[in-house]
Amino acid sequence: MTASGRRPLLRLTGAATIAALALTGCAGSGSADDSGESGGGPVESLTFWSNHPGESKAIETELLEAFEAESGIEVNLVTAGKNYEEVAQKFNAALSGGELPDVVVASDVTWFNFALTDAVTPMDELWSTVDVDSEGYVDSLREDYAFEDEHYAMPYARSTPLFYYNKAMWSAAGLPDRGPETWDEWAEWAPKLAAANSGIAPMVLPDGSNYLDWYFQGMVWTFGGSFSDDWDMTFTSDETIEAGKFLQDQYRQQHIAVSNDANNQFGAGQAAALMQSTGSLKGLTSAAQFDIGTAFLPGPPPGCPTGGAGLAIPERISDERKEAAMELIAFLTNTENTVKFSQATGYMPVQKDAVDHPDMKPFLDENPNFRTALEQLDVTSSQDYARVLLPGGGARIGAGLDRITIGGEDVETVFEQLDEESTTVYERDIEPKL
Amino acid sequence: MATDLAAGAPTGTAPAPSPRPPARPRERRGRGLLVAGAFLVPNLVLLGVFTYRPLIDNIRLSFTDWNISSPTATYIGFDNYVEWFTSSASHAVLWNTVVFTVAAVIGSMVLGLALALLLDRKLFGRDAVRSLVFAPFVVAGAAVGVAFQFVFDPTFGLVQDLLGRIGVESPAFYQDPDWALFMVTVTYIWKNLGYTFVIYLAALQGRRAELDEAAEIDAASTWTRFRKVTWPQLRPATFFLLITVLLNSFQVFDIIDTMTRGGPLGNGTTTMVYQVYQETFVNQRAGFGATVATIMFVILLVITLLQVRVMERGQQR
Repeated sequence: MTASGRRPLLRLTGAATIAALALTGCAGSGSADDSGESGGGPVESLTFWSNHPGESKAIETELLEAFEAESGIEVNLVTAGKNYEEVAQKFNAALSGGELPDVVVASDVTWFNFALTDAVTPMDELWSTVDVDSEGYVDSLREDYAFEDEHYAMPYARSTPLFYYNKAMWSAAGLPDRGPETWDEWAEWAPKLAAANSGIAPMVLPDGSNYLDWYFQGMVWTFGGSFSDDWDMTFTSDETIEAGKFLQDQYRQQHIAVSNDANNQFGAGQAAALMQSTGSLKGLTSAAQFDIGTAFLPGPPPGCPTGGAGLAIPERISDERKEAAMELIAFLTNTENTVKFSQATGYMPVQKDAVDHPDMKPFLDENPNFRTALEQLDVTSSQDYARVLLPGGGARIGAGLDRITIGGEDVETVFEQLDEESTTVYERDIEPKL
Repeated sequence: MATDLAAGAPTGTAPAPSPRPPARPRERRGRGLLVAGAFLVPNLVLLGVFTYRPLIDNIRLSFTDWNISSPTATYIGFDNYVEWFTSSASHAVLWNTVVFTVAAVIGSMVLGLALALLLDRKLFGRDAVRSLVFAPFVVAGAAVGVAFQFVFDPTFGLVQDLLGRIGVESPAFYQDPDWALFMVTVTYIWKNLGYTFVIYLAALQGRRAELDEAAEIDAASTWTRFRKVTWPQLRPATFFLLITVLLNSFQVFDIIDTMTRGGPLGNGTTTMVYQVYQETFVNQRAGFGATVATIMFVILLVITLLQVRVMERGQQR
């Protein structure tokens, strides 16, 4: 080959290398093989992947040390990401051929895909083997992980949305020291709050990139609507559209603001009320310079979804490791430890009898706002499949809600598109695997 | 005197080795190939394993419906490609990518050149300012993104405060897709300005001083001197920057992820790389994500080829 003949080839190779180098980070690692079984024998150590939800690294470490002392099994706590999504990414990478953990944090929107693809193990049989009282867990939290008569995770750092309000602004508006009982009552209160507190938003909600879809889930139920009925999409039902129009109307009337940083806006006294996770209770209470009141989300019940994360066990580890992992999960979530975890973070205790634990009463007396969160648990409900089980469901609905609020688009048109898109995703990605 | 004990002869006095007969052309070529191989093979192996293999794997996966958690994937032909090219969301993503990349390339190169020209002069505190300009480049993109969230916050941010002083209301940076794209672009330019600045500064300091002196003697104006003397000498640096800044800005992820998560309104600031992430890890459609990545590769390949061609033509003139 002559020099002039080689030049185009060299040019192409060079350019391809540059472009390929640019893309190396994007490339998938290939489909996984199915050889992830770890060896048998007595388990001497376990690996726990967590994102330390609610700044829980210290309490997680404390609980794991107690487990090590009790069981003699060493636990390696790994920071597998800064949020649930990053933990899921790392777990997915491990499924493609890396080293699997024994216990992994799985959020309300990530566990189902792992269950669907047999990446995590069903727990019901392990409950019998390790003698775990599954009935002791709060029913709605346990059943969040049920799919086809099996459970694929156990509740751990569980939260619900909570209604926070600025007591001084409430008082200035002449409102009673409680949250609105219904969304109609809220619509009556909002103008009073705006009139009495100049320049503030009566309520601020996180935007669609920050889980507005989760907060709207409860609102839609109170209107009699839903995102889906099992796998049938119901975005276009009259009740769901009415809820969407209510949200849009409240936004247009400036009764509800939508923000990328709702916590800061509320904490800085720029909004009179906020819907936010119970996981923010501790941070908001300590940061705000005013008295914060908490209340149930407006009803009628159920007006509040559950959320947060559970703990799952990979399918492709040995049976011995699965049993040891289940022992660890049972220990982390037993009554005594769920009380400790919940007091350190603000997440809900996951055992029914946690409320009666001797350590809980003085804590609740000192933190009456936490009592609200705890009592609200009785009127929560598991989220609709379209948000939590459908891949990308939360992000899809969040974007739709941004469009009807920030974007001012027609509710019926947006919800019809949501219905179509969600149905397409279900038929393409879920139905064939059921 | 040092003694070579092995040879029993004083060092430095050994007779010069008899001249070896010149190597035949064939031997010379063989040795040349060996040396070239020793240098090339390790690099080619690394490139093959860490660049070309993932690339080929990525292209293969782009024809499947692979769910990232699943151990298996089904071949679905060109379905993913048809979906991407016919989807209005993908068109919006492509447009975001083009706008962001063009603005980032032009913005960082023009500002980098301007700063390099300024700080090439003898000014008080020049070294300190040079360090300050370069510093953001070594800061992690995610950290810059988090910091600039506060800079652009329409309620508490620095920008709204400055605008408020002249009676202008802050744009809705997090709610208006155009302003959101502007915000992430400005943040990206700020972070990467140090890179273009330092390359241009190095090029300026390596230019031929006698040409400047000759222009000065000829009383050429500042603009004429820049256009006729300085700029032609900066062309290689400009082409280098054009390729590297374009490739880097095409791949921006961390700033978008921390500031907007691809929003507002769903895909207001979603670029192609962010779409790869969303499809692969949020929607669990790793096959479709691989398709987007492959399309990106082809686009970058074509752009790089064009740039190389243009550069070669420039050198031939």
